[in-house]
Amino acid sequence: MNSDQGLLDIETIFQAEYQKVARVIARVLRDPARAEELAVEVFLKWSRNPKAHGENSSAWLYRVAVRAGLDELRRETRRTRLGQLLPFVGHSATPEEVRASREDQERVRAVLAAIQPRQAELLILRSQGLSYDELASGLDLKPASIGTFLNRAEQTFRKEYIKRYGQQ
Amino acid sequence: MDNNRNGDQWVEDRLATLRPDSEWQPDTCRGLAEFREKREKVRKRNRTWGWLAVGVVVASLPLMAFPPTRAFAQRCVSACVSQSSWVRDLFVGSSVPSVVYVKPDARRMAPDFVLDDASGKPVKLSDFRGKVVLLNFWATWCAPCGIEIPWFIEFQNTHQSLGFTMLGVSLDEDGWDAVRPYIDKRKINYRVMVGNDDVAQLYGAASLPTTFIIDKSGRIAATHVGLCSKAEYEADVKAVLNEQ
Repeated sequence: MNSDQGLLDIETIFQAEYQKVARVIARVLRDPARAEELAVEVFLKWSRNPKAHGENSSAWLYRVAVRAGLDELRRETRRTRLGQLLPFVGHSATPEEVRASREDQERVRAVLAAIQPRQAELLILRSQGLSYDELASGLDLKPASIGTFLNRAEQTFRKEYIKRYGQQ
Repeated sequence: MDNNRNGDQWVEDRLATLRPDSEWQPDTCRGLAEFREKREKVRKRNRTWGWLAVGVVVASLPLMAFPPTRAFAQRCVSACVSQSSWVRDLFVGSSVPSVVYVKPDARRMAPDFVLDDASGKPVKLSDFRGKVVLLNFWATWCAPCGIEIPWFIEFQNTHQSLGFTMLGVSLDEDGWDAVRPYIDKRKINYRVMVGNDDVAQLYGAASLPTTFIIDKSGRIAATHVGLCSKAEYEADVKAVLNEQ
């Protein structure tokens, strides 16, 4: 494969997958612009890693995208630990429904940043609509064990959420 | 595959709040332009580092023409090799050196020989009974042998007073024409002889370097084939020196 052909293939995959990858990251982060930046970084990593090319490209991209999003979320959480306590200062003009919705999102994100990365990845990718086979391929797990892992991840998420915010 | 598992609806509802705004559409064109730009930057940076590495190598080559810098480089390699088997494999190849230490009651006599040293005096191995001898088969063209020589010079200095002597048998085809200048250049402080096929066969020295540690009774106590570490030599020499 010559380099022009290689570049063409990479760009074809980019065009096919970019929106999905950016959306996966945007689920984790609150800033869509940052999600797009990170999506480009994910594709750069992928383009430099020939082992990730081929039929498992999508699974690899999703997995790395979720990780990139979670890493950024944890960095953000550390940076603005105080801000996490008062996350909506400066948003008083937002309508009540939007505010409530954002509050829910922040809580879910805080819980995802606190639980094991592997479990957070599984939950996010599942909520993105990936099938069991896609999850197994993306996370290097046996398809038969996905259900068990998913159950455990959900239990962990629920416990952590209730510990922080109570049953709501 | 059952993808319709009755999942935890409560958890799914919460995760569903993370759906990005339906109005938001990631801009593929802008993303692709950014991707191309960053990829090009990475390529340029890699190219720069590549040329820099080539520049450093090209600049260092003429330095190797000067004896002080060459000697310094050799000392650096020697020091690294003596410390790490990884570095040794890098410079000398991944052939596994073998070290065999023989218990005193299973040792065989070292074959005796007589060879002339650099001053023309005959050296007879059996004359060294009562001393521990490190007998090294080597050649001037053998790079691993050159790495070991500073260690042997050091052993000769530090262990001589303990009843130890170092002997080198060169298997250079050019004989003293090649060996004498090399002894001077490397400042070898122990006796070196030029060997022949008969002596090499007596000891089975099929590859270089091959080194034998001979105990005080004239028996072969250890055999080192290939480039072993300085620590391995030192350990065996000390063990044999400490034997009663």
